[in-house]
Amino acid sequence: MERDLEQLHSALNYLKVLRSNVGQVFETVSNGLGANHGEEGKENKFMIELQELLTTVNNNLRDIETTVSNLTTPTGPFNLGNTSYLSQETTQERQALYSQLVNSYRWTDKVRDYSSLAGNILATNSVSKTYKTLSTTKRRKTQTSNHNVPPEVIESLITSIDRLFPDVTITASRPFAPNPIIQASLGRVLKSIIAFKGLMIEWVVVKAHSESNDLWTESRYRVLRKVTENCHAAMCHFHSPTMPELAVRSFMHWFHSYNTLFSSPCKRCGNYLHSNLPPTWRDLRTLEPYHEDCK
Amino acid sequence: MGVTVLQQFPIVENRTGPLTIDLLTKRISALGATQQGQFLVDCETFTSIQQLGHQRTVHVLHNSEQPATVFSILETGTKTIPLATDGLFDLLMTKMNNFYTAKKQTKVESKGPRFEIGDFLVKLGSVTITQNFKGVLVEVEYKPCVVPAMCWELMREFLQGFLGSSVPNTPPAYLQNRMQEIYTPIDTIHQYLEQFTMYRKSPGMRT
Ligand SMILES: [Zn+2]
Repeated sequence: MERDLEQLHSALNYLKVLRSNVGQVFETVSNGLGANHGEEGKENKFMIELQELLTTVNNNLRDIETTVSNLTTPTGPFNLGNTSYLSQETTQERQALYSQLVNSYRWTDKVRDYSSLAGNILATNSVSKTYKTLSTTKRRKTQTSNHNVPPEVIESLITSIDRLFPDVTITASRPFAPNPIIQASLGRVLKSIIAFKGLMIEWVVVKAHSESNDLWTESRYRVLRKVTENCHAAMCHFHSPTMPELAVRSFMHWFHSYNTLFSSPCKRCGNYLHSNLPPTWRDLRTLEPYHEDCK
Repeated sequence: MGVTVLQQFPIVENRTGPLTIDLLTKRISALGATQQGQFLVDCETFTSIQQLGHQRTVHVLHNSEQPATVFSILETGTKTIPLATDGLFDLLMTKMNNFYTAKKQTKVESKGPRFEIGDFLVKLGSVTITQNFKGVLVEVEYKPCVVPAMCWELMREFLQGFLGSSVPNTPPAYLQNRMQEIYTPIDTIHQYLEQFTMYRKSPGMRT
């Protein structure tokens, strides 16, 4: 199969060379005698030039014939399935559909390959961000999509979170509609910028109030970079594909416990500072503060 | 700009100023701090002439952390008015020296090395009044936090860990009335002025 394709490609290449050389012959003929042939014996020179070109064309033709004879003839006609009806399409702009169709077919094929590979890898070390059951034999009841939800649903989720905590103020913007990016200010302590993908939290970054609101630069403060890191861990921990709203709510509940980031001592060692950082970890269940090394 | 605490460090008998700074530099370096340049805070005080009625005092301060700003604090006797302006204010003061005259021998400054350690900024300042060494002021800033009430305990732990028991358990007097407010650079200036005034009043070295 692979060899066949290669030969087909080289045959097509030879055809291209032949075409361009034939084109050159016609060009030379149509130009006729010119200043570049000089004065003396110009007819002779022209003939020689033409002859050379024709020899090249001859050689090209031989190349094609040998490669074509090496090609294996396909057994029977190709079965194009329903796509053969595309040939009956009459409108001009739809005639290009076939190549697009082939491309998307290839693409889906690749997606299938990659996803089965990824499935194998993830099955060996399951993260709670993926479905635990990868078997296709027993399908669960079909999941509602979490990626593609109407904006009103997300909107109402955000408003309900906003109401849940009085010291959390939320402002939402939608640069990539319908996926909102919310900015949650936690009192005067810190703020976080949270990007949603449908009903799921896609990205979190924690910053000081004085810092910019963009999603990609991290905080200049060590403590807030640490909190960002921990938020990523918690985001994966709380993630639940089956109950996305609950996941967001639990995450926010946990996140809210950072309102004492600077003012509460570590539950384990009783100190405020450990390697010059306050307790940057909050227990996922009890929400108690711990230092990175004390949890 | 985070919450800043200014703290006087006592000079023990027969230890000079440079030796004290040296000792503190060693301590803070041992904790993992790296030196990031020098700093300077200075203060000059002007008083109004008699013809202008009851006397008013203007303190003009500069802080190398905000190099483009001139801070001034006007004391009318009943009110204290802080002002943050750009560098031209210095020129304005020289123009006004017929009405506001600089007090003799009162130029105070605190300068020395500046360290970064985690999110803390530590400055070890030798205080001099017209070139005479008066004592050591330690400034500690916790950059991520802007409300003193939230991070005082944390800063106290840091200060005590590094300066020892000379650090009181209560915040500096100036901060005590502003624990719930958002901290701004002028608050640091107020703390410096408070300390500088005490140095001016005490003859000799402050221990
Ligand atoms: Zn601890």
